[in-house]
Amino acid sequence: MKDHYEKISTVGILLLPLLFVLRGGYLQEVTGYVYLFLIQGYVAWFLFFKSGQPFFGYSVTMAIGAYGTIVLNVMFGWPVLGAMFISAAFAPVVGVILYLATIRAKGFYVSMTSFLLAILFPRLINALQDITGGRSGLYFSGITEFVGYKTLYIIVIVWTVVVAIIFLWLMGTKTGKILTLISENDRLTQAVGINTFRYKLLAYTIAGFISGLGGALYVNYTGFISSIDIEVFTTLYIFFIPLIGGSSLFFGPILGALFVILIPELLVPVERYFRIFFGLIFILVIVLLPEGLAPNVQKLFRRIRKNKE
Amino acid sequence: MSEQVLKVTDLTTCYGSISAIKSISFYALDREIVGIVGPNGAGKTTLLESIAGSVQPLEGIIEFLGHRIEHWSVLKRRQLGLMLIPQEANIFPMMSVKKNLEVSVILSDRDKREELISYAYELFPILYERRKQIASTLSGGQQRMLAVGIGIASNARVMLIDEPSIGLAPKLVTKFFETLKKIRDDTKKTIVLSEQNIKVLNIADRLFGLEAGEIRFDERKENLSRDAVKDLYLGSIS
Amino acid sequence: MGGILSLPVLGVAVIYGITGIPNFAIGVIGVFGGFVTWYFLSYSMGLAIAIGVGVCFIIGWIVQRVLLTPISEMGGDATLFFIITIAVGFVFEGMLRAIFPRPNISLELPRIGTISFAGYSVEGFKIIALLFAIGTLIIIRLMEEHTEVGKSWQATSQNLKLAKLIGIKTTQVFSIASGIGCALACIGAIFWGSLYNLQLSSGWDLGFLGFIVAVVGGIGNIWGGLISALIMGMVMSFSGYLLGGEWQSVILYCIVILVLIIAPKGILGSERSL
Ligand SMILES: Nc1ncnc2c1ncn2[C@@H]1O[C@H](COP(=O)(O)OP(=O)(O)O)[C@@H](O)[C@H]1O
Ligand SMILES: [Mg+2]
Repeated sequence: MKDHYEKISTVGILLLPLLFVLRGGYLQEVTGYVYLFLIQGYVAWFLFFKSGQPFFGYSVTMAIGAYGTIVLNVMFGWPVLGAMFISAAFAPVVGVILYLATIRAKGFYVSMTSFLLAILFPRLINALQDITGGRSGLYFSGITEFVGYKTLYIIVIVWTVVVAIIFLWLMGTKTGKILTLISENDRLTQAVGINTFRYKLLAYTIAGFISGLGGALYVNYTGFISSIDIEVFTTLYIFFIPLIGGSSLFFGPILGALFVILIPELLVPVERYFRIFFGLIFILVIVLLPEGLAPNVQKLFRRIRKNKE
Repeated sequence: MSEQVLKVTDLTTCYGSISAIKSISFYALDREIVGIVGPNGAGKTTLLESIAGSVQPLEGIIEFLGHRIEHWSVLKRRQLGLMLIPQEANIFPMMSVKKNLEVSVILSDRDKREELISYAYELFPILYERRKQIASTLSGGQQRMLAVGIGIASNARVMLIDEPSIGLAPKLVTKFFETLKKIRDDTKKTIVLSEQNIKVLNIADRLFGLEAGEIRFDERKENLSRDAVKDLYLGSIS
Repeated sequence: MGGILSLPVLGVAVIYGITGIPNFAIGVIGVFGGFVTWYFLSYSMGLAIAIGVGVCFIIGWIVQRVLLTPISEMGGDATLFFIITIAVGFVFEGMLRAIFPRPNISLELPRIGTISFAGYSVEGFKIIALLFAIGTLIIIRLMEEHTEVGKSWQATSQNLKLAKLIGIKTTQVFSIASGIGCALACIGAIFWGSLYNLQLSSGWDLGFLGFIVAVVGGIGNIWGGLISALIMGMVMSFSGYLLGGEWQSVILYCIVILVLIIAPKGILGSERSL
């Protein structure tokens, strides 16, 4: 019952920013941006923290979705929606290939190779400048040719909620439970006769697809993408979202996304110090709060509530 | 009656939620050879590593030469004169035999170092013959000897040795144990060794029986029947 | 290229070889030292280099002592160190941005000129960097053979638990290793900064290149690291020559990913694997 309550309140809170449509402007723009990162944060939450797969290529899967959409739509003349889904379907290939290639080695090889790929990818985009625009980037009107900017904002918010619900639902199913088991003890799970290979493959596929689709949505929303947007730090920011929010609760990623996107916005006057700040918080969270911020915030709320009674 | 150099009271050590030793009390007298016996998984390694500081006990008191050491680091315990030769990975694999011994004298007085190393060579002449060989290329038995040699070089007051005879050819075991006894007689140190080999009866002054993390017996050798020790092993077989 | 690369590679190899911790921040820390050197360069060259390298040594020491050693004692795995050291890199890159708000610098050291050899001409600095790396390596090897300090390093790298048990101050050994690694990265950054230029973000390239080149050579295998630094340096110049600068690093990273997948222990092998 308590669990149920949390789910409903999560969805409710997530939908709240729909009200920003009324005012529009800067607040709406930033919120949409936060949500686009939140989608990626959910993917990291699902793949890294819930399924225990040390994948660091989120910026790559996202970029494949984004660039794929532009290339298919603009250069090959495909309809936008088709381009988005096809390129999203292509995004999981990265994770799956790396997973298959390093299957006999230990988990760290996946994190290492995927991270190297995240370094490599923006450079590849630069090298392929003639097609991708490299650092100067590509402009893209995409969906906004058909629907207004506000509608697109609503789509982003609603889709984020759908992603949240999909992951919540997934973790409740048998598949989700097996993935949790795998993240806790891979070898034991295998020993009790579960085909962990199939489930991991599934996890990479789902994560890659949602991340890719998120990337496709991203480029529609921002109307622009360049190699700088998908630098390796993007992967770290994305990874930071569930890390700071807390790996065990669904509230966490929301908190993390707000933190990762909004704090820099607030810190613009002291932007010079942002990286120090980011790095220190990163370290402190890992060392002092390995469970993330969210469980602690929740404990705090619970204590406050108790004191009131 | 000589003094207790090492005294453990109500020691409990856990791995996660499983307790490997439960409220163990144990002591060793000066210049004594104590054998900790018990089947596989009894908790012998855990007890010795808790004493040396490689694993952190949950509760209990460890006293060594009158100091409470249970919260000390491995290094500090070692500096006071406590040394553990682990059951596995007890040599520096990619160093020569000679260097293995040379690096182990690090805490001894400078003018004693040569002497300690020659003493190790004297006890195990094969180590001297193979002194230039890389340690990992020695045979299993020779590696055991080197491990004890490292213990000798470290010149600790109390030497804890975890299952020194494991993997040793049966006919070598008796001789190996005699050597340990000779070390005690020559250097007047205390030796605590864990064993599954019943031949330990020949050299130990006292035996401490451990099973499933609990004490089965703690007796001087004279008071102990061979069967009591055997029971411990049979218990693990059936 | 390969010559200069050999310094951070050596730094990575020393740290990883002794502590078993992959430290991805050493490039950033090295570049930080490069900027410090640049700041003092107008006073005296020798002093400036000494300060830069010294600062890096101390930073390496402190980061290891305060953060990495305690985490490794609690049993951190490679992925955790990967994340943590990247965060450390963030902090130092941030400090660089805060203290030296300039996008890039170049260190004006006296030029040594180029050395011609069999029709090729090589920048003198590159040769010196390589000789420096080889010299450091030989010194480390000699110390391992003949001094107590060197022997304790070697013992710590081969069997940490036993090293502790026989009474080696392993915490101190770890800190020194990290200090030396960062100092080497700094020297690499100084050479780099005088041949090309140093940007605020150069440290990442230097660190990751150092790391991946070390991986190709078999991480922890110090000679392997040097050889692979030379080979990778040649690959980079060659691919840059054939395909244009942008392709250089693409090809480099592709090779490294392939090596990681096909031969996880590096081309020349190593006792340790990640
Ligand atoms: N690192 C460890 N993690 C979890 N359990 C362990 C670990 N080491 C030992 N144990 C458990 O603790 C118990 C005692 O083990 P140990 O001290 O090695 O016994 P012995 O040395 O007598 O064979 C065993 O049940 C063993 O499975
Ligand atoms: Mg044992």
